[in-house]
Amino acid sequence: MGKVKSAIITALLIAAMLTLSLFAVISCNVPGTNGVSRYNSFLSSIHLGSELSGEAYALLYPEGVITVTDYNLVALNGTDEEKEEYEDKYTLCDGVYVENEKLENKEEFIASIANDAKILSKRFGKKGYSDYSVSVENDCAFVIRVSVPTNFTYAALKNHDASARSAALTEISNTVDYLSTKGDLSLRDAADYDSSNSLLSIKEDFSSYFSGVSYYSIGGNHAVKMNLTKSGYDSLNKILAVSTESEASAYIFVGEDNFNLTLKMGEVLESRTLYFQSQAGSASDYAIVLSSILDGDILANSYNDDPASSGTSIIASTPAFGDLAAVLVLVALLLVLVAAIVAPIVKYKKLGLVTALMSWLYALIILMALLLIEIQLTIGVALVITLGLALLNFTNVKVFEAVRKETLLGRTIQASVKTGYKKTLTTILDLHAILALAAAVIALACVGELAACGLVFFIAVASSYVLYWFTRLMWFVISAPVKDKFKFCGYSREAFDDED
Amino acid sequence: MKTNLKISSKMHLFIIISSIVIAIGLAVGTICHFAANGFFNYSGSYADYKSITVSYENIDFSGSGKEPAVILEDICDKAFDSVKLSKPVPAYGETGTGGEIVYKFSKSVSSEELEKAVVAINDEIKALVEENGGIQLSFASAHDAETLLGGAMGISRAAIAIAIILVFHFVYFIIRYRFMMGVGAIIADLHNLALFIALTAMFRVPVTSAIATYAVITVLLTVIGTCFLFDRLRKNLKDEDCKKLNALELTDKSTNESLMINSIVPACLAALSVVLFIILSISSLSPVAVLAPVACALIACAVSVYGTVFFTPSIYSGFKLLGENKKAAAKTNKITK
Repeated sequence: MGKVKSAIITALLIAAMLTLSLFAVISCNVPGTNGVSRYNSFLSSIHLGSELSGEAYALLYPEGVITVTDYNLVALNGTDEEKEEYEDKYTLCDGVYVENEKLENKEEFIASIANDAKILSKRFGKKGYSDYSVSVENDCAFVIRVSVPTNFTYAALKNHDASARSAALTEISNTVDYLSTKGDLSLRDAADYDSSNSLLSIKEDFSSYFSGVSYYSIGGNHAVKMNLTKSGYDSLNKILAVSTESEASAYIFVGEDNFNLTLKMGEVLESRTLYFQSQAGSASDYAIVLSSILDGDILANSYNDDPASSGTSIIASTPAFGDLAAVLVLVALLLVLVAAIVAPIVKYKKLGLVTALMSWLYALIILMALLLIEIQLTIGVALVITLGLALLNFTNVKVFEAVRKETLLGRTIQASVKTGYKKTLTTILDLHAILALAAAVIALACVGELAACGLVFFIAVASSYVLYWFTRLMWFVISAPVKDKFKFCGYSREAFDDED
Repeated sequence: MKTNLKISSKMHLFIIISSIVIAIGLAVGTICHFAANGFFNYSGSYADYKSITVSYENIDFSGSGKEPAVILEDICDKAFDSVKLSKPVPAYGETGTGGEIVYKFSKSVSSEELEKAVVAINDEIKALVEENGGIQLSFASAHDAETLLGGAMGISRAAIAIAIILVFHFVYFIIRYRFMMGVGAIIADLHNLALFIALTAMFRVPVTSAIATYAVITVLLTVIGTCFLFDRLRKNLKDEDCKKLNALELTDKSTNESLMINSIVPACLAALSVVLFIILSISSLSPVAVLAPVACALIACAVSVYGTVFFTPSIYSGFKLLGENKKAAAKTNKITK
């Protein structure tokens, strides 16, 4: 390869990386057709974990329990009649107002809430959040507090992207509402609970029709997958065959809530597996609730449904690590990247630029992966990214040292590179193979933050291995125009020096 | 970096050190499980707590023109001072129409004191509202939260993943390296993991659901460390010059040759952890929140360096020497017979 070709390839590569980097880090206002709209950089579009973006929490009040605020709104500001009604109806109990009727069987009521909290904890656990908690509040344990990561991007956190912020909170609100649905499965003949009739006899248990429910996703389509048992398949076909009206449908309900899972009446089911297409978030929520019901975990109380309650409000709180946490973590990662770029340049001079280029490429690959796969950035993920960067750099250092040893033996640069790579191949391959295997196991077997760490580490290991070979290519590109075959970037054979 | 560590002959010393640390850690954890807040020092979203929550709507009830959150924080400060309650750093929550200010207290704070503070806050808000002739939309209330271990599923899945990785690590090393190296690798994994758990429990490091992540990072660092160590050993075993060395000398040579890489990889992570701790301390609402992940990461790094540089080579060479001695004894017996 000639000098010009080598320079062109290197320049093109750096120009492409520079352009991508600019898009990756710079957010700015862009004049659009509807006034000025904002371009949010790749970095500010990465989803952040709860420690960096804060948590969103909701307080779930069972029917018969209302907040001090809801009580006082009427008791302090309402009419005399309303005030009297509230005073007779409610008693203040550890920070909340509880209906006197509920307090008559207080122990039983508290036990049912505690059991509901356990069920909710299991349901939220299946959602795969990087961090979440379910707690029972107050000495009397009348309130359940559910907190999950906000899943904000930096742009949403700082209100630069209001629609993303509102979409994230709406999704959490929907999830909290769906997962706290009370009641058992039923099949009804109309979409509205009050005007519908059950299609099953009183003795029949609709959940016994199914052997399992799961969330199914392929090619951007999301569905709830319900597997029928043999007897369930026969029974459901009998029920659906009853009506011959072309427009008639059967609706699957959980308690009094229609889950929008509809079956066509008068049609024979083709297989024992039913697929109900839905939105990504709701399909996963439906699947979790239905699967929980099949496991016998049925909520005893409905939450935030009391007419006197102001409903579920999702509260987005400040991140535990502070408002600047996301920026500071990125600064720390940037410092590590700068160190990974500077250290090889100091040690290997011009050749260190190749390693620096690889570290830069690695950073871009990881950034794109975080952005495209929507992986949440947490401290754990940041550490795993650093581990991947360390792996890449030490792989290169190992090869460089092997090449140095070969040049000292008197080989030409090209021959040294060839032999150096050959000698380190098994070490590098074994290291990457076992780490890729471990990362794949973590990504597939774990949930939440760990699964994200596994996926990121798998990408990091794969990138490290690919970039190891890319470094080989860059050796070829930058060493090809060099005329002295025995001296290159501080590498020279001992014999050559002796002859001098 | 050339070193001349002679660690392979000190198998018994390292076994004693590790056993003592693990035993103390497990003992502390077990005692705390029954006497304190659990085997680990659960914190963050895992911890039980008491709190005072002040909810508000975005309406200026004081007539001062200030944000309700600012006025309420002043009121809370005065109320905490009046009941002599030390004020924790508040967390702020936003709803569409208002928000909440949450003050979290440890479980040991008296509920009566919290109730007194709540009464003082509510009285002050009421007085301000009455003064300005509005309706009261801001109220304080005390809460006592008992957190369920919501991350149990995450931890059980992590345990399954770690078990699978251990099996893969062992099998891969048997196939690609040697049987004894596979044994060494799995001992290293188990030792480092046990040490990580023991140290986390012993030093009462605040633990959140992220502990599983750091346990897995410990295993990954061990896998990297054993790969470098046993790769060096594998190459030295094939080297003609090394054939005259016994197991102890060969292991020492390989350990020294892989020392730099085995200590620098965890050191990089440790450095990042320290950098994170320093810079996040600037912005963090609670230093404990920053300490938790950083301390876990530092323990993971320290454990993996100790495990792969000191413990594993000494155990491997000890077993290897035992095998060699047995072989030699059998050979001598055969010749004598």
